[in-house]
Amino acid sequence: MINIEHVSCGYDLNPIIKDISFTVKENEILCILGPNGCGKTTLLRAISGLLPATGTIRMNGMNIKTAGRREIAKKIAVMNQLTSIYFSYTVYETVKMGRYVHSKGGIFQTDQKKEKAFVYECLDKVGMLDQKDRLITELSGGQLQRALFARVLAQDPEIILLDEPTNHLDLKYQIELLEQIKEWGKKENRCVIGVLHDINHALLFADKIMLLNDGQIKAYDDSCDFDLTSLNDIYGIDVGDYMLHALERWRI
Amino acid sequence: MAGVAFLSIILGVGIGSVCITPVQIAAIFMNKMFHVPLPENFNEIYIGLLLNIRLPRVLLAFLVGAALSVSGTVMQSVLKNPLASSYGLGVSSGAGLGAILVMMCGVSSGVLGVFLLPVVGLLFGLGTVFISIFLASKFDRNMSNFNIVLTGMVVSLFINAIMSTLASTSQEYSQRILLWQLGSFSLKEWSYVLVLFPIVMACIVFFMRFTLELDILTFGEEQASAMGIEIKKAKWILIGMTAILTGTAVSFVGIIGFVDLIGPHVVRRFFGCEHKYVIPMSALFGGSFMVIADLLARTLVSPSEIPIGSITALVGAPFFIYIFFRSGKEKVA
Repeated sequence: MINIEHVSCGYDLNPIIKDISFTVKENEILCILGPNGCGKTTLLRAISGLLPATGTIRMNGMNIKTAGRREIAKKIAVMNQLTSIYFSYTVYETVKMGRYVHSKGGIFQTDQKKEKAFVYECLDKVGMLDQKDRLITELSGGQLQRALFARVLAQDPEIILLDEPTNHLDLKYQIELLEQIKEWGKKENRCVIGVLHDINHALLFADKIMLLNDGQIKAYDDSCDFDLTSLNDIYGIDVGDYMLHALERWRI
Repeated sequence: MAGVAFLSIILGVGIGSVCITPVQIAAIFMNKMFHVPLPENFNEIYIGLLLNIRLPRVLLAFLVGAALSVSGTVMQSVLKNPLASSYGLGVSSGAGLGAILVMMCGVSSGVLGVFLLPVVGLLFGLGTVFISIFLASKFDRNMSNFNIVLTGMVVSLFINAIMSTLASTSQEYSQRILLWQLGSFSLKEWSYVLVLFPIVMACIVFFMRFTLELDILTFGEEQASAMGIEIKKAKWILIGMTAILTGTAVSFVGIIGFVDLIGPHVVRRFFGCEHKYVIPMSALFGGSFMVIADLLARTLVSPSEIPIGSITALVGAPFFIYIFFRSGKEKVA
């Protein structure tokens, strides 16, 4: 369980997140929606301890603000948007890096067999075991995101923070990746907090939805009860009408 | 790779104004180590030539090449930039400036003795890195890689300009400064090898302790931090150690570029990207490359010598352009 109380943060003197409080329980998937620049990524960075924040962020009793990076990484894994990759590691080597936080570091490793089996298990979970020897620079966007998700699984965290992980992926890969993440969360009884732009994905993927605007929570509810009209003011369009219009076109 | 390294050393000590065959080299070593008698009619001049002139020179070239190549490997990974190097970040220039100042001021130290140059080179190399990182941190508190590379380049150009100014204003030292800027292994004694060997070995062992961190850092700071690495601390330590390694090597032989750039790339091509392989292999490749480059430098226009920096640059510059174009096609998914 992660508990956020009166958290504010930003960059230099510019406050982005303003006094936010919420709780995510075990086995729960929270999706954060909001327009560009509303503070979604900033909030995720604060939760993972990558950005200093005021207020309290606690994860199963551990104070994120005072914990070391290694301690945090044992509990929280972050999956970012895809970025440039310059070095050609194999899929197996990439996923193995997720075990860093549980290792002793350097070449002085112990129990290599057990570690290897765990990495294989993570690769198998995302359906990439047969691709383990391929170079990550040769993978498609969808395969690469699956490999990076396997690396997150190898970290064996209690919570995963997703920062628009489906960006640049086609629809098939978007659905596939979100389904895999959801399956893992439910099966392993873990939390997932994700930033997504697609409202449809959010409604299908998440248990709860938080609507963020100008660094503050504008709406927070179960996904099945979420009031979609709350999106209208923020996005400046009638979201429901737009979606119905799209559905009608499908029916035709 | 170890075989290539061994072969390069044999070639390095064997080829020159007078050629010494591998059999003769073996005979000299057997004689010196196990008192095996030398063959009849053996020219004893070869012993002095091999043990006092060629061997220290070749071993020093190997150590310098290994040091520069390993420091380049670490720098590229820490800064997530395949074009980064100690040379580009100004470490080599800083260490070179320190050595030139010692040379021009005629400073000598009874206490430090042969350690004076490496100590000054190390301090100036470290100083340059600290200035670069300090300036980068002023622009950006998180010390992003881009800012470090940019400030490093600016500092490097600035120091090079100081060296050029010193060379043009001092008639007495201009020739020496110019030669120093291109590096040379001539007239190097065993004392240089004995000082550099423990430093290079200690740094390589130190970096082997950080192989996993280096692997993860190639994915960028944000991801590395989320995976449990204390970014600022890791950056300071690793860049500081590369400054020590490069600064010491440069202070003995002058500024030699490109080995730190091309060494890691060639090794990654053959042995993959994992640093537990890349670091030792970079050391062996860099060392072998430098021995062969030095061999070419002293034999191509014998009896005069081409500065070693010219040879490495002649090979390195086209390679740099190749990497530059290749990095333009890097995967942006």
